[in-house]
Amino acid sequence: MSGRARRGRDRGPDAGAEPYERGGWGTYLLLGLFTAVSVFPLLWTAVAASRTSGRLAQSPPPFRFGRNLGRNLSVAWDEGGMGEALANTAVVAGSVALGTVLFSTLAGFAFARLRFRFRGPLLLLVGATLLVPPQLGVVPLYLLIARLGWTDQLQSVVLPSLVSAFGVFYMRQHLLRALPPELLEAARMDGAGTLRVVWHLVLPAARPAMAVLGMLSFVAAWNDFFWPVLALTQTGNPTVQVALTGLGRGYVPDTSVVMAGALLGTLPLLVVLALFGRQIVGGVMRGAVKG
Amino acid sequence: MAEDLVERALPLAPGPPGPPGTGRRRLGRLRSRAAPYVLVAPFFLLFGAFGLFPLAATAWTSLFRVELTAPEAREWVGLHNYARLLTDDFFWNALANTVLIGVLATVPQLLLALGAAHLLDARLRGRLFFRVAALAPYATSVAAATLVFALFYGRDQGMVNWAIGLVGLAPVDWQNGPWASKFAVASIVIWRWTGYNALIYLAAMQTIPHELYEAAALDGASRWRRFLHVTLPGLRPALAFTGLVSTIGALQLFGEPLLFSSGAGASGGADHQYQTLGLYLYEQGWVNLHLGRAAAIAWAMLLLLVVLFGAVRLARVARGRRARR
Amino acid sequence: MGRRNGTPRRTGARPRALALLLAAALLGGCADDPPVPPPAGSGETVDGAGRPVTLTVGVYGTFGLKEAGLYDTYMRLHPDVAVRQTSLARADVYYPQLLTHLTAGAGLADVQAVEVGNIAEVVDTQAGRLVDLAHAPGVEENAFLPWKWAQARTGDGRVLGLGTDIGPLAVCYRKDHFAAAGLPTDREEVGRLWAGEWRKYLETGRRFAARAPEGVAFTDSASGVMAAVISGARLRYYDAEGRLVVAANPAVRAAWDLGAAFAEHGLTARLQQFTPDWDQGFAHGRFASIACPAWMLGYIQDKGGPDGKGKWDVAKAPRPGNWGGSFLVVPAAGRHVEEAAELAAWLTAPAQQAVLFERRGSFPSAEAAFGLPQVRGARHPYFGDAPVGRIFSAAAMGVPVAPVGPKDGLVNTILSDTGMLQVDQTGRSPESAWRAAMKAIDNALDR
Repeated sequence: MSGRARRGRDRGPDAGAEPYERGGWGTYLLLGLFTAVSVFPLLWTAVAASRTSGRLAQSPPPFRFGRNLGRNLSVAWDEGGMGEALANTAVVAGSVALGTVLFSTLAGFAFARLRFRFRGPLLLLVGATLLVPPQLGVVPLYLLIARLGWTDQLQSVVLPSLVSAFGVFYMRQHLLRALPPELLEAARMDGAGTLRVVWHLVLPAARPAMAVLGMLSFVAAWNDFFWPVLALTQTGNPTVQVALTGLGRGYVPDTSVVMAGALLGTLPLLVVLALFGRQIVGGVMRGAVKG
Repeated sequence: MAEDLVERALPLAPGPPGPPGTGRRRLGRLRSRAAPYVLVAPFFLLFGAFGLFPLAATAWTSLFRVELTAPEAREWVGLHNYARLLTDDFFWNALANTVLIGVLATVPQLLLALGAAHLLDARLRGRLFFRVAALAPYATSVAAATLVFALFYGRDQGMVNWAIGLVGLAPVDWQNGPWASKFAVASIVIWRWTGYNALIYLAAMQTIPHELYEAAALDGASRWRRFLHVTLPGLRPALAFTGLVSTIGALQLFGEPLLFSSGAGASGGADHQYQTLGLYLYEQGWVNLHLGRAAAIAWAMLLLLVVLFGAVRLARVARGRRARR
Repeated sequence: MGRRNGTPRRTGARPRALALLLAAALLGGCADDPPVPPPAGSGETVDGAGRPVTLTVGVYGTFGLKEAGLYDTYMRLHPDVAVRQTSLARADVYYPQLLTHLTAGAGLADVQAVEVGNIAEVVDTQAGRLVDLAHAPGVEENAFLPWKWAQARTGDGRVLGLGTDIGPLAVCYRKDHFAAAGLPTDREEVGRLWAGEWRKYLETGRRFAARAPEGVAFTDSASGVMAAVISGARLRYYDAEGRLVVAANPAVRAAWDLGAAFAEHGLTARLQQFTPDWDQGFAHGRFASIACPAWMLGYIQDKGGPDGKGKWDVAKAPRPGNWGGSFLVVPAAGRHVEEAAELAAWLTAPAQQAVLFERRGSFPSAEAAFGLPQVRGARHPYFGDAPVGRIFSAAAMGVPVAPVGPKDGLVNTILSDTGMLQVDQTGRSPESAWRAAMKAIDNALDR
C-alpha cells in the first residue's frame, strides 16, 4: 500500500481508530437493519430447532421458541451423529490451524528473508495455485486416499488442507515488514544458527500474523465443505458439515432435527465469536482468506 | 500472474514487496546453506503431494475413460472428454448458471458490503457489537446456512412466500423458477459474505487520512461526494482483492446449490436450473461415476479462471498504456 | 465498548494467541466423545483368544434389520459375535461410497446392503471383490424367489447377494378422504374401483377430484404413479440381452403418459418423494392415496404419526408390480468373511424375513416365508388391520420378472426427478420433459 496510506490513521483495526464521520440516527437505523438481517437466520435456526417439524410445515412460520429444543438437540446429537462430528471437527480444524500456521510461517520466512535457488519460481508456483479451484484435484486425490485406505479417516481431510498458498503469502508479507534485515544480520554476527534465529526472532515477530492466520484457517477448516463431503462419510468420522449434509439430504430425521443439527454445528463458532469478537474482527480486518 | 495480483490486492499488504535485488544484506549467509530448504521443505512436501500431484494427475485422468466402478481399468481417449464438453449442453448450462449466480451473488454482495463498511466507518456507539454481528454469517457454515435458507424459500410454507403473501403478491416457486432459484442460491452467498467483505473495506477505509476528507469538506463536497472521490479511490486495492476472491468463490460454488433442495441432489434442480460447474463435476464423478469426464470439467474450470484473469490483466495493461500516452 | 479511545494501541499478539488457544480448548471441550473414534470399518476386535468378533452391517435409509431386533436375536444366538450397524440416509450417497470402498478394499462393513437398482452393476463390475454366497452355510437357493436369486448371480454362476426384501405393490388410501369425496371406503370395493388397469386409477382420481375435500389431492406425485406402473412391466429399462431400451420401450412410455395425465388433470399434491415436504404431506393428509410397495408402509406409519392411525387402509393395486427391494453382499476384503457370510445368510433366511415383514413391513424375498403364519396372517393395525400378508403375498405371486440393468437406479432417478417432476411441478409439457429426461439419461450413461 502506498506511503500516503500509511501516514493515515492506521492505528490497527481493533484499536480505537477514530473515523472522520459521526454516525447519525440514519446510520444507526441502517446498521440496525443490517445487523438484524445478519443475525435473523441464526436466531430463527434456534426457533426452528425448538419446534416440531409439523409446526415448521405450517404457514405462517413460528417466530417464538417452542418446547422441543432439548429433544431435537439430543436426537441430532445421537442419531444425527452431531456429537461425534463436533469432536471430529474440533480435531480437524485445530490440526489444520496449527499445521497451516507452522508450515506457512517457516515457508513465509524463507521466502521473505532467505536467499535460495528457485526462490522466485517457487513462489510463483505457490501463487499460481491460488487460482486453482479446489475441485480440480479431487478426482486423483480421492483415488489417492482410497488407495491409502484413508477414506473415512480424519487425516484425509487434514493433510490436504495444510497446503495454504494464501498462508505462505500472508506470512511472507507480514515478515517483510515485521522482520527488518538488520535484525537478522545482527543475529548472524552473534553467530546464531537458523534454528535459534527462527525461535528467537522469527516466531516472536510473526506472532500477530500467526494468530490471525490460525483464526482464519480454523474457521475455514471448520466450515470446509466440498472435500470433506467426498472424503468422509456420515458413518465414518464425519465432520460437522458432513453430518449436516447427511441430515439435510436424508429422509430419516425431521426438519426440526435438521435445524437442531445446524444449530449445534454453528454454535461453537458463534460462542467463540461472541467471546473473542474484538480479536476476530481485528483478525479479519488484518487479513482475508478465501472461503 | 497470480502472485502479482494477490500482492497488489492484499488490502493491508504493507510496504513494497521484499528487497530481492537490494544486494547488501543477503540473508542466505545464515549458517547452513541448507537452512532455507529445510524451512520450506515441510510446506513443499505437502504442496507436492496434495497440491501439485492432484493437479497433474487430474490432467492425466482427464485423458482417459475412467469409471468409479473400476478406477484401475482405464481406457485412453485422448482429448475426447474435452471435445465432448464443447457439445455438452449440460456443461454450458452449468457454466451459464455459474456465471449468472456468480454475478447475482457478487455484485450485490460487494455493493452492500461497501455500504455497510461506510456506515461502520463512523463514530458510533456499540461499534464492536455491529462489527461482531456482521461476522456472524461468516462463522456460519455453508451447510447450516443453506439448510435454513432452503426452509425460508419453501414453496408452500416458506417464510419468504408467507412474507410476500402479506404484501399481496403471489407465491414464488423458489425451487423450480429458473431465475427465482438462482436468486435464492445467490442470496445465501450474499448473506454469508457481505459482513466479512464489509470489514475488509472498513479496514481499508481506516487507512485513508483525515486530511483528505477535511480538504474535500473545505471544498464543499457533500458526504456522498466525499465517499465517491475520497473513499472509493482509497479502496481500490481492497476492491480488487474482494473482487478476486469473490470471483474465485463464485466459480467454485458447490455447497449452496447441492443442499438447496433436499430432493435435487447433484442435479441442481429438476431442469438443472441452478446446477453450477462444481455441482456438475460432482454429478459426473460421483453420481454418474465418470471420473475422466469429471476431471476434464475440473480442468475446464481452471482454464476459465486463467482466461478470465488474463483478460482482466490485458485490459489493465491496455488501459495503463493509454493513460501513459 | 467501541469508544474506549484510551485502549492501548497494541491489544497485541499475546492476548490474541491466548484467545485462540482458549477457543481451541473450548471447542475441544464441547464434545465428550474421545477426539478420534476408532475407524468404522470392519470389526476391531480380534477373535484370537475367544474374544467376540464384531461384525458391521452397512445399510442405507431405515433398512429395518436393526429396528426389527434381528441383530439382537443373532447376538443372543451367537454370544461370541457382536453386530453393529452403520447407516447412510440416502441410497444415492451410499452407493458411490460403497463402490469406492470396494475399490480401495478399505472402509467397508463386513456386510453391505445393495439396492435392486444397483445390483446388476455390482454383479457386473464388483464380482471380484465380493464373496460367493451360493454355498455359504445356511443358504438355500430354493428358499428364494427364483428371479430374486438370479438377479445377484454372475454369468459363471456365483451368487454375490442374498435378497432381503422385495417391493410388491398395493395402493394405500385415506378412508376419511375417500368418504368425503363420495367414494367407497371398504378395501375390497376400493380395489375393485381400479382392478386390472392403472387407467381406472386415473378415472377414480377424476371422480375424487370432482368432490375432493379442500386442499386434498388424489395422489402424492406423478412420479409415484409412473414408478408404480413401470414396476409392473415385463420389460423396463434394459432388455434380456442387457441393451438399454428405455427410450424405445412402449411400457416405459405408457407409464410416463399415465403419470403425466395425473399431473395434467391436477390430481397430484405436486410433491417430490422422500423430501421433507412429502413427509409433511403424510402428516397433514394432503393426498388421499398413494401407490405403496410393502416397504413404504413403515414409512407412512412413521411420517403419518398417531393422527393417521386408522385413517389409512390398503387395497390391491390395479396390476401387480415390484418396486424396490434389496440385497446383502459380503466384501471379500473383510476381516471376518466367513462369519459375515453366516450372518448374511441368517438375516435373509425365511424365518428372519418373516420377522422383518411382521415388524417393519418389508416383504420377504424368500418364497419359503410366504406360507409362514407371521406373513400369511399378518394384519397391519395402523392401516385399519388390513390383511397385508394376504394382499402382498398375492401381489408378489403375480409380479412379472423383468430383466435388471446396471444403471436401473440412475435411470429411475432421472425419469422421476428430472423428467416427471417438471411435468408435475412446473407444468412443462410431457413431450418436452420426456426429451429432457432422455437427454439427461444419455448424458449420465455416457452414450
